[in-house]
Amino acid sequence: MIALLATALLFELRGAAAPPTRSAPVALTTCAECHLALDDSRLTPPARAISDDVHYRAGFTCVFCHGGDGTQMDQDRAHDARKGFRGHIAPRDVPEICGKCHADASLMKQFNPSLRVDQLAEYRSSGHGHALAKGDPTVAQCASCHGAHGILPVKDSRSPVSPGRIASTCNHCHGDAALMGAHKLPSDVYAKYSRSVHFRAREKGDLSAPSCNSCHGNHGAVPPEVGSVANVCGTCHAVFAEKFKLSPHWEAFKDMGLPGCVTCHENHEIVQPTDEFLGTGPSGKCSSCHEEGSPGAKAAAHMRQELARLASETRTARETVRRAAEAGMEVSRATFDLGQADDALVRARADVHLFRPAAVTEITASGLTVARSARAAGVKALEERDYRRRGLFVSLGLIALAVAALVFKIRDVDRQRGRPSSP
Amino acid sequence: MEWLRDRLGLEALAHVAAKKEVPIHRYTIFYYLGGMALFLFLVQVATGILLLLYYRPSASEAFESVQYMMAEVPFGWLIRSIHSWGANLFVGVVMLHMVSVFFLKAYRAPREMTWITGALLLFLALGFGFSGYLLPWNELSFFATRVGTDVPAQIPVVGPLLSRILRGGSDVTGATLSRFYGIHVAILPAVATLLLGAHVLLVQKHGMSVPPSEENRTSRGALRFFPDFLMRDMVGWLVAVGLLAALAAFLPWELGKKADPFASAPSGIRPEWYFLWMFQALKYLPAKVAGLPGEMLGVFFFGLLGAAILALPLLDRGAARNRSSPWWNRLALLTLAAALALTVLALLPAGGSAR
Repeated sequence: MIALLATALLFELRGAAAPPTRSAPVALTTCAECHLALDDSRLTPPARAISDDVHYRAGFTCVFCHGGDGTQMDQDRAHDARKGFRGHIAPRDVPEICGKCHADASLMKQFNPSLRVDQLAEYRSSGHGHALAKGDPTVAQCASCHGAHGILPVKDSRSPVSPGRIASTCNHCHGDAALMGAHKLPSDVYAKYSRSVHFRAREKGDLSAPSCNSCHGNHGAVPPEVGSVANVCGTCHAVFAEKFKLSPHWEAFKDMGLPGCVTCHENHEIVQPTDEFLGTGPSGKCSSCHEEGSPGAKAAAHMRQELARLASETRTARETVRRAAEAGMEVSRATFDLGQADDALVRARADVHLFRPAAVTEITASGLTVARSARAAGVKALEERDYRRRGLFVSLGLIALAVAALVFKIRDVDRQRGRPSSP
Repeated sequence: MEWLRDRLGLEALAHVAAKKEVPIHRYTIFYYLGGMALFLFLVQVATGILLLLYYRPSASEAFESVQYMMAEVPFGWLIRSIHSWGANLFVGVVMLHMVSVFFLKAYRAPREMTWITGALLLFLALGFGFSGYLLPWNELSFFATRVGTDVPAQIPVVGPLLSRILRGGSDVTGATLSRFYGIHVAILPAVATLLLGAHVLLVQKHGMSVPPSEENRTSRGALRFFPDFLMRDMVGWLVAVGLLAALAAFLPWELGKKADPFASAPSGIRPEWYFLWMFQALKYLPAKVAGLPGEMLGVFFFGLLGAAILALPLLDRGAARNRSSPWWNRLALLTLAAALALTVLALLPAGGSAR
């Protein structure tokens, strides 16, 4: 309480709230006491939420954003405009108020030295920031995503900007058809994203899979420029991006103004790519630029054929090896080799992004050699199984003959001894 | 032949063979179990020697050498599968042999030492099974051995030292494999050969025991051991060979994955079937019983049971006086039923999980 009073005194002297120290105590302010007692649907919830607030827990009380005098129980004194009180903070003012602390490196390092302090600058460079600067109050600012009161650390899974919830938070606005219509933006991006491989990976609990902010940035959110799409995708898909930049399509796409990866893979609805993407068929992605029968279409068909052959022969080999293994045959070497065939298929699919059929053929050829050798091992193991079984039947036949001979001999001996057959 | 007979004393052997007889009565069939156990032991010796030609007893090579035997060595698969299946049949037959000897009261005077050497041979058979299980150095055997070698550590005072001696360290490592190999192929075979020799000699010396219930019946005569009984024995042996070959061809003994000491224990690890009842009993024991560690009491009980089996001819006073011993029979039946029930429980899907 003494520290609180000291803080309030400092506030009085400076006319603005001084930042608390790292060890500042967390106590309920007079603001919260009054607002809780109000039992008002608009004014009470902020006071309820504040006890969980990351700022409040660090000692930043209501007055740091709203001004006024947090030590006064009297409403007029507490809401004294001369002390900078402002009850409702207009959206256009929010970034600057947050930036007051979050852009202050020397202050921030007292609380979280690893936290970036360029959020305000980033925000100003964002689509949201530009629109806000032009006076559009409907665009997102800090509180739109982080919340106004009860702000939680990003690592807290309850936070609307935690990795697991960020996409649905963006969708609050970007899924609002009326709001997006006013900005001439599509409102189905979340619906499309929810059909993507990235979303499916997140559903399986992989929080490293991309969400909206992974590609668009968070505070500086903008759609990636046409020329930078491959760079953005390449932050995760480095191998594909590297190969794509070496391909003839890299320059061609730039000349045509096509946005790299998303030209074939879409942007939000990024579905599981298949070998059928290669070609001019119904699922093919090449037909938009290459006509049927053109050298490009032929190259695509060739690569697809190579991939299909390797996939098919690997599948057949695996089935053969599996049957042999189920029969108890020792085929661990062949099983291991099949992993190399799978690996070759993965590498060949990556090399498709070079768009050079020879590069793909080189890899599929090595994979085919491995798959065929594994299949041969599986076939040999199955033949060995049959050989063993034939051998067993012959052996059992011989054993049965020996048993029969012994039984006859036993009976003969028993007869000779004048004894009935006994065990 | 005459030359050999003069030098090897074959006449004496022929005399013994001609003199040896097997009584005929309702339970004569149980006499074949001893011969069957001996035959399976010899199969184990023969296949074990063949496996030695390729097996390499080190953590880095053991698994690969067995894999090589199974895949590359001509009939390696057959030898290994027969050795593995034969080990299980051998333990099973030895157990049946002991149970039949118990209920037929064949341990009565003067055959007490025959029983004791036989009981020791059963313990050796279990030791063979336990030490051999680890040798392929696969995942299942590695973790089962880790659990198994932890059991002796429960013995007060000497337990931890005993466990360290067994493992050759604080955990199951390549050092454990080396000593299990030594135990499996040198120490146990040497002791088993001596005990087996003594056991067979004692059987020869005292002849076949006739159960008390058959002693007063009208004699149905006797079979000459050679060739009458031996030929019948051979029928059983041939059937056993056929069974082992069929098992090897249709259910080759799996090798599994190579042991990885740094991996977490797979689910469903459990010892061979003949140790399952002990494994399951230890799982059911509470952590503390009357202030003492439950597992320690369990191990103490198993030790007591082993000692009771060994000393049975001295403990069963009724049988010693050639009288029936119904209480011992009931106790044995109860023990067998409990062991069987625990084994079944361990084999149930949720029962075999690691502790």
